[in-house]
Amino acid sequence: MPRRRDDEDDEQEEENYEDEDYEDEEDDVGVGSSKKRRRSEFIDDVAEEDDEEEEEEYEEDDEEMGGGGRRGHSKHRKSGSQFFDLEAAVDSDEEEEEEEGEDDFINDAGAEIPDDGGGRMRRPPLLPREDEQEDVEDLERRIQERYAKSNIPEYDEETTEVEQQALLPSVKDPKLWMVKCLMGREREAVVCLMQKCIDKGSELQIRSAVALDHLKNYIYIEADKEAHVKEACKGLRNIFSTKVILVPIKEMTHVLSVESKTVDLAVDTWVRMKIGNYKGDLAKVVNVDNVKQRVTVKLIPRIDLQAIANKMDGRDVVKKKAFVPPPRFINTDEAREMHIRVDRRRDPSTGEYFDLIDNMWFKDGFHYKAVSIKSISTQNVQPSFDELEKFQKPGDDTDGDIASLSTLFANRKKGHFMKGDAVIIIRGDLKNLKGWVDKVEEENVHIRPKMEGLPKTVAVNEKELCKCFDLGKNVKVVAGAQEGATGMVVKVEGHVLTILSDTTKEHIRVFADNVVESSEVTTGVTKIGDYELHDLVLLDNSSFGIIIRLESEAFQVLKGVTERPEVALVKLREIKHKIDRRANAQDRHNNTVSLKDVVKILEGPFKGKQGPVEHIYRGVLFIYDRHHLEHAGYICAKAQSCVLVGGSRGGSDRNGTDGSRFGTSRPPMLNSPKRLPRGGPPPLDSGGRFRGRRGHDSLVGSTIKIRLGPFKGYRGRVKDVNGQSVRVELESQMKVVTVNRNMISDTVSIATPFRETPRYGVGSETPMHPSRTPMHPYMTPMREGGATPIHDGMRTPRRDRAWNPYAPMSPARDNWEEGNPATWGASPQYHPGTPPARPYEAPTPGSGWTNTPGNYSEAGTPRESSPAYAIAPSPYLPSTPGGQPMTPSSSYLPGTPGGQPMTPGNVGLDIMSPTIGEGEGNWFVPDILVNVRRSGEEPCIGVVKEMLLDGSCKVALGSTGNGETVTALPTEMEMVVPKKSDKIKIMSGAQRGATGKLIGIDGTDGIVKVDDTLDVKILDMVILAKLAP
Amino acid sequence: MFFHMVLERNMQLHPRHFGPHLRDKLVAKLMKDVEGTCSGRHGFVVAITGVDSIGKGLIRDGTGFVTFPVKYQCVVFRPFKGEILEAVVTMVNKMGFFAEAGPVQIFVSNHLIPDDMEFQSGDMPNYITSDGSVKIQKDSEVRLKIIGTRVDATEIFCIGTIKDDFLGVINEPGAAA
Repeated sequence: MPRRRDDEDDEQEEENYEDEDYEDEEDDVGVGSSKKRRRSEFIDDVAEEDDEEEEEEYEEDDEEMGGGGRRGHSKHRKSGSQFFDLEAAVDSDEEEEEEEGEDDFINDAGAEIPDDGGGRMRRPPLLPREDEQEDVEDLERRIQERYAKSNIPEYDEETTEVEQQALLPSVKDPKLWMVKCLMGREREAVVCLMQKCIDKGSELQIRSAVALDHLKNYIYIEADKEAHVKEACKGLRNIFSTKVILVPIKEMTHVLSVESKTVDLAVDTWVRMKIGNYKGDLAKVVNVDNVKQRVTVKLIPRIDLQAIANKMDGRDVVKKKAFVPPPRFINTDEAREMHIRVDRRRDPSTGEYFDLIDNMWFKDGFHYKAVSIKSISTQNVQPSFDELEKFQKPGDDTDGDIASLSTLFANRKKGHFMKGDAVIIIRGDLKNLKGWVDKVEEENVHIRPKMEGLPKTVAVNEKELCKCFDLGKNVKVVAGAQEGATGMVVKVEGHVLTILSDTTKEHIRVFADNVVESSEVTTGVTKIGDYELHDLVLLDNSSFGIIIRLESEAFQVLKGVTERPEVALVKLREIKHKIDRRANAQDRHNNTVSLKDVVKILEGPFKGKQGPVEHIYRGVLFIYDRHHLEHAGYICAKAQSCVLVGGSRGGSDRNGTDGSRFGTSRPPMLNSPKRLPRGGPPPLDSGGRFRGRRGHDSLVGSTIKIRLGPFKGYRGRVKDVNGQSVRVELESQMKVVTVNRNMISDTVSIATPFRETPRYGVGSETPMHPSRTPMHPYMTPMREGGATPIHDGMRTPRRDRAWNPYAPMSPARDNWEEGNPATWGASPQYHPGTPPARPYEAPTPGSGWTNTPGNYSEAGTPRESSPAYAIAPSPYLPSTPGGQPMTPSSSYLPGTPGGQPMTPGNVGLDIMSPTIGEGEGNWFVPDILVNVRRSGEEPCIGVVKEMLLDGSCKVALGSTGNGETVTALPTEMEMVVPKKSDKIKIMSGAQRGATGKLIGIDGTDGIVKVDDTLDVKILDMVILAKLAP
Repeated sequence: MFFHMVLERNMQLHPRHFGPHLRDKLVAKLMKDVEGTCSGRHGFVVAITGVDSIGKGLIRDGTGFVTFPVKYQCVVFRPFKGEILEAVVTMVNKMGFFAEAGPVQIFVSNHLIPDDMEFQSGDMPNYITSDGSVKIQKDSEVRLKIIGTRVDATEIFCIGTIKDDFLGVINEPGAAA
């Protein structure tokens, strides 16, 4: 291995040597024990020399430690290197077989030993000094000898990965043990071990010992057995061998792998400071001294002039500065004003003039500082735009441009340029030539120049190119803080673009390099973790807000504070969770505001703004106003200071939320319909009032449908009439709205049906009946408003389903009939005689409601549930709050006609409650022909005369209804299917009760011409009944 | 730029409209559907000027709707890069101002406003020259040049500049009346 020897000879080249050596050592792992002996002999000499040399060093070192400067250090190096390097080389040779990277250690140790020499014990020089030279020769000779016969394979330049893999330690190899030692004495401990090894020779069974610079308190010892380690450490004061930790094989390589520090520092690159006042600051390299391992960097000064002034005046100097002065360009005039001496000096090397203040060099306001290469970080320095901007003092923009570019280019990813990119040449002869990328090779980019008369393509180095964009181009940011944002270029300054973001309509400044042309429109990143832009989130401190912007790793949140817009920068972890609840709020006029409703802000800083509500939380609305540019167009306002504009767009959806909301908050009120949960007027009183009111306007209390305006399609009861405006209590929502009188459809019914149905109160006989009756209150003026306690109970959204509480109520109607609302308490007496009703009646309304609060939330809106229960009995179950479920199905037999149809009111009822009307199936209506089949009797035709509350009917027998009148149960009746051209009556649906003519039959559908409207409708035959002539 | 062009569209008509006025209904629906919309390709449909032909209707299974292919003439408005437009300022802020030219919203960044115009915040934010002779505020009319357009399916957004000869305010608010 001649080459190796050369290396050894040449001490200066020790570094490359190490690298090569590395391989060899590994090759040798496991081979070595036989050679060991010889080697240790060999070591002796070296070690002795070492010691001797060290000793000299100590003295020097001790002196210098106080000064501690860089100068001292480098001096050591010089003084030590002469020998130590050699020693290191030798050392590594002998140890190499066992330990990869060993040489590295020794080398370091050799060079640096003086540093921790303070704590060293003195050892007598083992060899006289004059032997040194001779010894080196001897050494060389020996090595030569050794390697001559060594079986180390020829060093191969090209090492494949597989070979590398083979070199990794395996189970057969000696283990690496981690041993604790005195803090700061790591190297010393290792040297002691070495010494011991030298002294004891083969007795010491460890293979090697390593101290790592970065690992305090521990050293590594390579040995086959733990016992060997302990044995070796025995008697050494600075090693604590009680605890010996085995390094797993997998980690062994990591322990000793050396990070290749290829410090590639060029002038004008950007670096960051690692330590001191400037820690983290961006700096620009102005000069590199590779020999001294020092660089001169240009920084924005963080100088406290006042402190310097104080110091100069000899005033008290604060020892430890509590703060780091903010970066600021220094002004020498300012310094002079503060009586700080400013010297002007010429830098001998560059010939430039600097201002010298307190031994610090300044030029153009920048601080020029010589620092060790170790104290700056050069890797992955990505100067942010702001930093670069700061660095760029006015006037020297071109210089700054190029400088920052060089760093930027260094950070360019592969494939930065793509075919078709518009580029501009920024350096060299062809500077400012624009063109398009035609082809990209490794380093060179072929561009098609824009200019005439040039070759078709020009090959340019990648580093001389910069992307270029025209004004108005749609671009997308692909790197940096604004990554992902899109926008249009509004300004181009060199390689810096100003972009108008598509979403925020704000200006973004980015490097042209970080931008690609794109037609896509995005906000940039719209999602971090679970949170998306415009989500309402609950923050740590129980405040909440809406995400209005995403930055890298953080959100901008517009907080739910209404007094003033408050934006907080929030980290992902500071967000508790997303608020996904659909809530409602009440506006100033107590209208329900739900999501997407348009509201107008009446007061506060955003008075007059208007927009759809995007989020509602705790009575605070987040309104999106597209004309509002701040905070991504979001405005936060109290619901109470807003007013609903136009109609609600929440639609039926809102009903659902309503339901659930009330479901959770209302049930307690529902406990007893007989109470006045909402503090309404007592029944008697209201009854009286009601009567009075009724006299005023027949509309009051009637159920109407709103046919125009924002509430179009809603049904409700008229609460009050005042001139042209009518206050309507909506059925589907817990609110009273005011509408114009001409916006309501004609009164559907001012029902006074109950007088005509004496048996009405007994309706609860049949279980099915009560299920419908809940509707009644709405059509009976008598039940209007808060007039009756029942009504209040019934006002909840549950009311459709609340037939259970209603059951005891229905008899009360009789009481009403008698004008005696006070007899409420007597209502139960109506039921006892009606066994089928019992299941319904059994649970008191109150208990029914309270028992099953779950039902409220789980059941949908009243509307939703009602059709369900009409179509199929079973879905009904969930909506029955109490224990009733036993018989719902029976009550829903389609054959059981309800009792009401006879009363005109019922017609109205159905119309106003589409849900029931549509869903409930066929109920017999008066005047239709039915077949009555009573047990034991011949079926005979009859005309339904009257409906009874229990679903049974009074039927006048005979096809014209002139026979005797009997009461028939629904099960006993069957309607007569009409034929073409028959007069019919519609029994279900919106048209229920309407008469018409069947003008055709199409399968199961009948084509009906309705008498009133002359509309032609296609209806299911099932709901058509033949009308009595 | 405005164009008068012939476009085609398949109109779905509800069966209830069938009858003697079918054609009228169809045209009415066409106007309702099309006018004011924006297509990325043609720009905003400003007005329908005539219906060239209504093809044969095709009844859709299941729905009963009938699809008619309709050819119609219309005026479309599509802004182009480099086009000079006159627009009304709708909003002024420190980043520039928004102006509208019919259905098109145009943003003029402060970088694209002459350098001698300064932003002044306040009740009525505006850009004003140092001598106060020229002022851009809400409802001012400006002549601007479009330098970039972004065409979405439903919207056209432009950025413009007034940093060029003969561009800038052409009418003060109020004076227009």
